[in-house]
Amino acid sequence: MSTPLIEVADLAMRFPARGRDDGHLALNGATMTLAPGELVVVLGANGCGKSTMLRCIAGMLRPTGGEVRVEGQAISGLSGRTLTEARMALGMIFQSAHLVKRRSVVANVLAGTLGRHRSLGIALGKLPHQETPHAMACLDEVGLAHFAPQRAGTLSGGQAQRVSVARALAQRPRALLADEPVASLDPDAAEELMTLLRRVAHQDGLGVLCVLHQPELARRFADRILGMQAGRIIFNHEPRHVRDNEVSALYVKRDASQRLAA
Amino acid sequence: MSAIAEDNGRRLSPHRQDKRRSALSFVVIFAGIALFLQAAFVVHARPQDLITGAHGIADILSRAWPPDFASLPDALWPALETVDIAIFGTAVAVIVAVPLALVAARNTTPARPIYVLARMAIALARVVPDLVWALIFVTAVGLGPFPGALAIAIHSIGMMGRLFAELIEDMDMGPVEALTMTGASRLAVFSHAVIPSVLPSLAGITLYRLDENIRASLVLGFVGAGGIGFQLLTAMNLFQYRTVAMLLVATFVIVVSAERLSAALRQRIA
Repeated sequence: MSTPLIEVADLAMRFPARGRDDGHLALNGATMTLAPGELVVVLGANGCGKSTMLRCIAGMLRPTGGEVRVEGQAISGLSGRTLTEARMALGMIFQSAHLVKRRSVVANVLAGTLGRHRSLGIALGKLPHQETPHAMACLDEVGLAHFAPQRAGTLSGGQAQRVSVARALAQRPRALLADEPVASLDPDAAEELMTLLRRVAHQDGLGVLCVLHQPELARRFADRILGMQAGRIIFNHEPRHVRDNEVSALYVKRDASQRLAA
Repeated sequence: MSAIAEDNGRRLSPHRQDKRRSALSFVVIFAGIALFLQAAFVVHARPQDLITGAHGIADILSRAWPPDFASLPDALWPALETVDIAIFGTAVAVIVAVPLALVAARNTTPARPIYVLARMAIALARVVPDLVWALIFVTAVGLGPFPGALAIAIHSIGMMGRLFAELIEDMDMGPVEALTMTGASRLAVFSHAVIPSVLPSLAGITLYRLDENIRASLVLGFVGAGGIGFQLLTAMNLFQYRTVAMLLVATFVIVVSAERLSAALRQRIA
């Protein structure tokens, strides 16, 4: 077992209270690890805290308790430039591809390298063209090199999402965080994307943490499945050890357990 | 029994709803007519004046014919001035309005107080008509094309600033979020995610504004801000109606070609 890439310890997140309500406790002691080269899928019902956990790891949200370590460095206390640098190790994939539709596919992938090029020209809109070979290699990895000069707006949903994976890879991350990456894709495209994520983990040795809504996809592609309920990880198994009733319990007992947690 | 009680109470039958609606439309039509009549009274609208004045109009037209194209060379420089007032004003306005719009858009502003200030500046620049700005600047910097260009710049900052800010507010924030996550600087996120998404609409608005500004620049000449408008005013005051006619033809050519060119360019961008 290699050293963990991401360690999440006892993570808590309480969203600020609005009006009479005393704030929503989205994470309540979530603990997990992610190692290089593994694809871990997080399953859970809506509102169980899986996206919140991902956003805390990515440094987009600041947790109210617990700790996130990326390659041994605690990320929760960082801000500004140091946070920016720490999270460059993490590539993010969203529910939709979030491409700049009027730019070419390769320009969108090149934008993934902006973090490591900080000249004035780059800040004013010039692309780091010295990275073009790297960007093309990333596009080739997702199987879309021949689309490089095309406008990003002309791609299908599945292609666009694969370009967003290429953009994340162009960043040269050690881990990928994917927040429901197949939610807006048709079954074939979803299949293709999960195959790609698994290949990135197994062949390139990146840690991939992926939030999903489809237990059957999780069973087929994940190296490990985390079940999340009411802001905690309630199981953590290899897919063959995950029992059907454990999975269905994630979606059924949600209301009652959430009331208990709150 | 209960159904009838309900009918008489809160709910109206379809028939009574119809009646209420036709009563309402009667009131609206009546109010519209009243509004128009009071306006006609206030502007002293007397159509018969047009008929008795027809003789005067015919007289002016006959004295304006044929247009004095011999003096066309004298009008070329003022015509260039008119177009350049608009070009300069529009260019300055874009340079100021783009950064102003970035802080005046709710999704890209760095802080709430800056947003409020920027919105106030834009509103002030917009609600004061360009003609009034021109009068202010003529008083400040004297007669000539420069006050006209300034007036157009300020008014256009208001008009374009608001449109640009709305454009940015309606933008898809996904790419912004995605690029922020790659570790790109704030400025790089603007230039690589915000600008490419809004650039075509931005250019379209600017071209449309340029076309409007050429028309505005003609009018500004009347208050002493130079250009062909000032020539027109002078010729009118000297009763040189054939020169007036020539200037009107020149104006027509400038405005129509600016309109055509702007529309053609906008179509190419879209």
